[in-house]
Amino acid sequence: MADISLTQPDCVLSVREVFGIDTSLQVPAFTERDDHVPDVDPVYRFNPAVTMAILAGFMRDRRVMVQGLHGTGKSTHIEQVAARLNWPCVRINLDGHISRLDLVGKDAVVLRDGQQVTTFQEGIVPWALQRPVALIFDEYDAGRPDVMFVIQRILERDGKMTLMDQNRVLRPHPCFRLFATANTVGLGNLNGMYHGAQRLNHAQIDRWNIVASLNYLPADEEVAIVLARVPGKAGEAGRALVRSMVAVAELTRKGFAAGDLSTLMSPRTVITWAENCEIFRDPVVAFRLSFLNKCDEAERPIVAEYFQRCFDLELDESFERVAVDRPA
Amino acid sequence: MSTAQATARRQQRVEELCAASIRALCGEADLHFRARRLHRGQRALPLFGPHLQPSFEDDDFGSFRGAADAIALRLTHSEGVLHRSLCPPDPVRRWVFESLEQFRVEALAPSDWPGLARNLRHRFEQWSCTFHRSALIDSASGLLLYTVAQVARARVTGQPVLEATEGLIEVTRGGIAATLGTALAGLRHEREDQAAYARHALAIAGHVAAMLRAVEDDAAFDGAIDDDTAAHDRGFSLLFDFDAVVDDDLPTATPGTSRVLEAAVGAYRVFTTAHDVEVKAATRVRAALLAEYREALDRRIVEQGLNVARLARQLRVLLAVPTRDGWDDDQETGCIDGRRLSQLVVSPAERRLFRTERQRPVANCVVGFLIDCSGSMKQHIAAVTVLVDVFVRALEEAGVASELLGFTTGAWNGGQAARDWRRAGRPPHPGRLNEVCHLVFKDADTSWRRARRDIAALMKADLFREGIDGEAVEWACARLAARDEARRLLIVVSDGCPMDTATGLANDAHYLDQHLREVLRRQEQTGEVEIYGVGVGLDLSAFYSRSRALDLAEPPGNKACFEIVEMIAGRGRR
Repeated sequence: MADISLTQPDCVLSVREVFGIDTSLQVPAFTERDDHVPDVDPVYRFNPAVTMAILAGFMRDRRVMVQGLHGTGKSTHIEQVAARLNWPCVRINLDGHISRLDLVGKDAVVLRDGQQVTTFQEGIVPWALQRPVALIFDEYDAGRPDVMFVIQRILERDGKMTLMDQNRVLRPHPCFRLFATANTVGLGNLNGMYHGAQRLNHAQIDRWNIVASLNYLPADEEVAIVLARVPGKAGEAGRALVRSMVAVAELTRKGFAAGDLSTLMSPRTVITWAENCEIFRDPVVAFRLSFLNKCDEAERPIVAEYFQRCFDLELDESFERVAVDRPA
Repeated sequence: MSTAQATARRQQRVEELCAASIRALCGEADLHFRARRLHRGQRALPLFGPHLQPSFEDDDFGSFRGAADAIALRLTHSEGVLHRSLCPPDPVRRWVFESLEQFRVEALAPSDWPGLARNLRHRFEQWSCTFHRSALIDSASGLLLYTVAQVARARVTGQPVLEATEGLIEVTRGGIAATLGTALAGLRHEREDQAAYARHALAIAGHVAAMLRAVEDDAAFDGAIDDDTAAHDRGFSLLFDFDAVVDDDLPTATPGTSRVLEAAVGAYRVFTTAHDVEVKAATRVRAALLAEYREALDRRIVEQGLNVARLARQLRVLLAVPTRDGWDDDQETGCIDGRRLSQLVVSPAERRLFRTERQRPVANCVVGFLIDCSGSMKQHIAAVTVLVDVFVRALEEAGVASELLGFTTGAWNGGQAARDWRRAGRPPHPGRLNEVCHLVFKDADTSWRRARRDIAALMKADLFREGIDGEAVEWACARLAARDEARRLLIVVSDGCPMDTATGLANDAHYLDQHLREVLRRQEQTGEVEIYGVGVGLDLSAFYSRSRALDLAEPPGNKACFEIVEMIAGRGRR
């Protein structure tokens, strides 16, 4: 992995100017962009509460976990904050197969002066620990809880890390930051939606200083996000269409919360739907392809009801149509 | 019967969809229809407006949608406590006040929901047309209420009055304009503010009540207020009683409350248990007859092409949980198997050195079927037997234990228990007064193969007499609760309310109904056993919080099985 030339933040940015949040806070940042700094997405919209939580992580060296349903843009949120601060950022997707060796490092055979030698190669955690890097554990709750104990120590602010394989104690770089995103809050797959989510150890959950919750946004915000992503819908008619789309998405979310649906529309689905509308030129066809086909067949009539409310159009699955077609 | 069953099915489907819409629109999870009335949890909500009770015979699905949307808006935008505190007590003023409040929330429908707006308008127009066609419109009072409703709604929502009746209401409209004009104008201004709006609404309600007293000449109309059911028989009702239980021609189990049981503070009594029995049903049927029944049953199952394997698959998905179950050795990927490392040294080409964890679906679950063996079930029993036999077989394939139980009484009209009661000098409030007979067709430890013949005993309809549901459910739950399985389900198949003539006569008509409801509530609270009600051509939602109406008039096919699976999966109504 290419090394990072930066060492310390060398400027301060005003939160009000950069993130549009009404506060006089100043946040340290780098002037130079490293290769590890994510690209800036100019249309990204920051959620004030979550942004403040993430900024606290960067400014005060807090361990921040962002929790929320899928498609709310948790990881992107952290990345975009890092991108604005020019803070190098490494994102790891955890899964059930990540082992201790992947995280800590392992002995590997390498060629040195034409000789095969066995040498210890650092894993991602010690590597990041010694550099000004924001390390993001994506899908933190997918990691096996027994493996995740590797990071137990570094979750504490001044926690040093002992590399037992090398008899070395690593002191974290003062600008090392640690973030995580998760769908659940460590209680496992309660609603059946997040298969593979593990129950986490609460001694570890407890060590995260800040747990920010990023849930679905108010309708106006969401409309703005979709319009920013899909500029083709910026006209008056397009805006009305997107409003209706967001209204359907909200109904599916409430339906999910009430247990009527087992699938829900995330903001990502709405964006996909809007994009597919551009391709197919028909919101009904695009809706079918972007969301309806993901639903269980038995739940489609309910989705058709939601759709009728917001669009005044009948889907083929609607009870109205089925009842009429069926011979008496 | 078939059409009645089909109607019951349709009704349930419509209610499921409407309830789902209401839940999504107002974001409250515990709203559902029971016995045609919207309930929040266990409590029935009042009827919010005269036009919010479409009828299943005359109104289309659009009307139900409109009513559902209107209720959802009412729940979202109207403060219930404030509304109740302002609500006038007498029926006419209350009718006007409720209607006006409903129009207010309908006017608040968000503009970017075109479908919802159309549903609301459609429902109100349908109601207006029905009102218009009814005899009530011919009376001066009826016309007055109709006009007030039309004019007020047009004012509040800004939509035009129904065109078809514009001429009809012209004169009355002119007549009330002077008295109600100011208040009507206030309605539209203050529609965002419930309390301010209510002042105008109460003023209108007061004026309308006064005007009605002035034209009090109408026997037909007075009758409608006094006796709403009479008006209902004529096909249209103004629904003055907003808290009444909905009574309809549709097959809905409508339980009443028992005064006797209420007076005894819920202490359900049994006069004597001396004659109660619990028997293996097969012992009551000749072996030769059992074999014959079994043969007929098998023939039916084959004829109907029921897919047991598919049902078993569905049930496994539903009831089984993936569980760690040891390791699979000899894998090419996974974790290294330490025991195989020596093999790597000996033959470096060997790649199957890994092992993976094995996950197996294990169903730690028992399902009990409790069949109502009352006389009226005789006509359905063949179909029910086919269904439960297939289920028992599929459950076994899915690794789920199952019980098949039934309940009836030992005799008609109380039998020996009633005789004992008469001999004891007919003491008052004797409680349950019959010989309860609990039948075991298959217990959880017997396999389907061994119980094949015993299950066929269900076909012996001569055993069927009366039904005492509450005690039977208690008994079945106790049997299931004694099992080790973590999840216990009880599916009660019934075609009506509890029925026992002697108990009904000696206590009162709803004695057993109420006991059943109490038992179900108790069991739901403890949560040891999940209870589901399967109504044979009947909506059992008044008793069971999770229920389905099945249409068994035609032979049960895969569809009926699937519906029961759906019910267990908890889709739709809860």
